[in-house]
Amino acid sequence: MLTDREPGRYLRQVALFGEEAQERLASARVVIVGAGGLGCPVALYLAAAGIGEVRLVDGDVVDKTNLNRQVLHGDRDIGRPKVESAAEKLRAQNPEITVIATYAAVDDGNAATLVGGADLIVDATDNYRVRYTLNRVALDAHVPLIHGAVRGFDGQATTIIPGRTACLECIIPIAPPEEGATPVVGTTPGIIGLIQANEAIKYITGTGDLLTNRLLIWDGRAATMTTLPVERQEECSACGSGRCSRR
Amino acid sequence: MQVRVRAFARLREAIGGDLTLEVPEGATMSRLLAAVGETSDQAGEALFEESGELRGYVILMHNGRRVRRAATGTLALADGDEVALFPPVAGG
Repeated sequence: MLTDREPGRYLRQVALFGEEAQERLASARVVIVGAGGLGCPVALYLAAAGIGEVRLVDGDVVDKTNLNRQVLHGDRDIGRPKVESAAEKLRAQNPEITVIATYAAVDDGNAATLVGGADLIVDATDNYRVRYTLNRVALDAHVPLIHGAVRGFDGQATTIIPGRTACLECIIPIAPPEEGATPVVGTTPGIIGLIQANEAIKYITGTGDLLTNRLLIWDGRAATMTTLPVERQEECSACGSGRCSRR
Repeated sequence: MQVRVRAFARLREAIGGDLTLEVPEGATMSRLLAAVGETSDQAGEALFEESGELRGYVILMHNGRRVRRAATGTLALADGDEVALFPPVAGG
């Protein structure tokens, strides 16, 4: 596989984790749900790292107010589906990978199909309704889910390995209220998105310690990161013994 | 006795940073949360519903361990304890 590719593209990271790890990246299929503030940096850096198949799912079109943070989209993309705009930039960044753009909003009815066949799901959404749907689909399919969320200068991220770690509903059983237009500076989803992309690369290559059973909290005002320990909840309605009551 | 409070996200903005609060000996987590809420209107709003109930989504930690909402009324704190409060964020 590596011989088919232009030499040198992955030289610096192969030097870091080896050719076998690069092969794993090349054969990995990652679904990124959301092509906005989080989805843009996640997708760009996973494409650059040589993830073999990057699938983007989003049902929105680019709006001018997105441009302070959704860095794959530019002025000329306003009105285009975000997944199309993003896919074009990803293909230009790395023509060696497959980029699939799915222009659809994820809901309970289509989630399992939209993320089907993925080795990894990245939660780059902006609401807990879809996040909880992805959490359940990830649990059902035994596919890891990398969660991220942002507001203002604050962000959070965690990695969920179904059956082994706290799931999203163990950690956040009650969703915080939705805001109309969440205030945010672009660097916050940039930082959290790159933490998510870093988790994806680590998971696929088997490198380092994942953010499992830990909730990372980024405070951009103070420029500090903290991780809070979290654990599986026996009564969790998504992954615990309490799940039967909701299903 | 003194309890250290680490606040994150909107709650940190509301109370302006970490706090060390003086609470009566044997005070419960509920008592401490009320004291945090009393530091300012914004802090109260970040922690409590209009009904006075603790906002359900706020993650509560006591000396590095998660505290369930149901346990806040009975969990007794000790001098030097650390409580962390994190209201999760939702945007993307």
